[in-house]
Amino acid sequence: MPEPKLRPSGSAPGPAVRTVLVAEDDLVSIRLLERHLQSWGYTVIPARNGEDAWAILREADVRLALLDWMMPKVDGPELCRRVRGLSKDRYTYIILLTSRDQSEDIIAGLEAGADDYMTKPVHFLELQARLQTGQRIIALEDKLRQSQHDLYKLATRDGLTELWNRTTILEFLDEELVRGRRLGHPTGVIMIDLDHFKEINDTYGHLTGDRVISKAAAYFQKSVRPYDRVGRYGGDEMLVVLPDCGLEETIQVAERLRKTVEKARLRVPGRMLRFTLSLGCASSKNEAGRSVDRMIRESDRALYEAKQNGRNRVAAARDPRPRRKGEPHAR
Amino acid sequence: MPVDRSANVAPPLDRREALERVGGDPAFLEELLSLYVREFGPALEALRQAAKGKDFQTIRERGHSLKGSSANLSLPGLRAAAYDAELAGREENLASARSSIERLKEEFERLTGFLTPSPAPRRASPPRPRRRP
Repeated sequence: MPEPKLRPSGSAPGPAVRTVLVAEDDLVSIRLLERHLQSWGYTVIPARNGEDAWAILREADVRLALLDWMMPKVDGPELCRRVRGLSKDRYTYIILLTSRDQSEDIIAGLEAGADDYMTKPVHFLELQARLQTGQRIIALEDKLRQSQHDLYKLATRDGLTELWNRTTILEFLDEELVRGRRLGHPTGVIMIDLDHFKEINDTYGHLTGDRVISKAAAYFQKSVRPYDRVGRYGGDEMLVVLPDCGLEETIQVAERLRKTVEKARLRVPGRMLRFTLSLGCASSKNEAGRSVDRMIRESDRALYEAKQNGRNRVAAARDPRPRRKGEPHAR
Repeated sequence: MPVDRSANVAPPLDRREALERVGGDPAFLEELLSLYVREFGPALEALRQAAKGKDFQTIRERGHSLKGSSANLSLPGLRAAAYDAELAGREENLASARSSIERLKEEFERLTGFLTPSPAPRRASPPRPRRRP
């Protein structure tokens, strides 16, 4: 479930939109284009053959490119095809420059992935106008991607904690169980509940309750591996999915989370607030066909046991009795 | 029908058009012309070598590149000869490639002659004062 890498919402287009790659094998043409582009406020990156241009397009954040059709090594249409084949986050607007003006050439250039097409020798005022069109297209494209990003976030993240929401964390658990079954790896699950959360809400108000949940969520995020997932299951309940973790490793992670939160303090008017967690662990180890429902049921039952036995503790599914704080885990 | 090249008397550089293309800056035009002249020698040599080795792709690419720079600087004779070289490369016509390379050389000489300022006319020496007998 990779999240798209994008700029923060509402930020202006970066300096890359004022940078133009000019790929042209003729030095006089490069120098002439450079002079005009610079006078319009662009920074120019020159390349004298298609291979150099390809290296720049692949590595650098270039959003505007003027590519000569005929170049040694890699020609303009081939470069267009390569750029369009890249899975880049950001769009590159390409203008092909060529002396070919037959309609079949224009069609071939556009089909290769060029956005626009200019015949040589280039009319510079026309080029200036076409680059402005390119900037408009890039701005629209950025806006569209930002909207997609925002929608994706709205659909998958919890608004308060920014953890994965219930639907997404359960989907992730399902994917992990399938993957684990295929590879013969276990998947660990921790169901977490904030102890006496209702009292915190009743005593300090819901805004403080929200701060407690957010703070706990931030601790969880920091305490797990990058490929573990933490989601808000509902209310003050959160779910952690640990790929490739058997029950023992899952209990260790849960214990680490419990200790971290136990030490934490939240400043509220008049005092420093402490809060604790109860955690229920389950793992899919050695049992084929474990479903999401079953994992949730088992971790939930373990959580219930942890609460029944005094809270601020970790319990695990299949445990004969829940473990007390500091006591070695019974297997 | 063969074209009579000797009838070509148009100047090798359309300075007015070239100036317009470089934004009306005569110093920049001079810079570009110097660059063109500097780059021309190796390009012509590469074309000759390519013709010798029957490397038609290089003839086409070099011809194309020279055509572009000649057009940018409004050099009509050089542009036409470069275009012929590109075409000869594309059609793999060695005789036509050789003749266009020869024309490129001639047109280039015409350009350099045109660009080299002619020497200032010698001032007539002042008449000597006549000696009195």
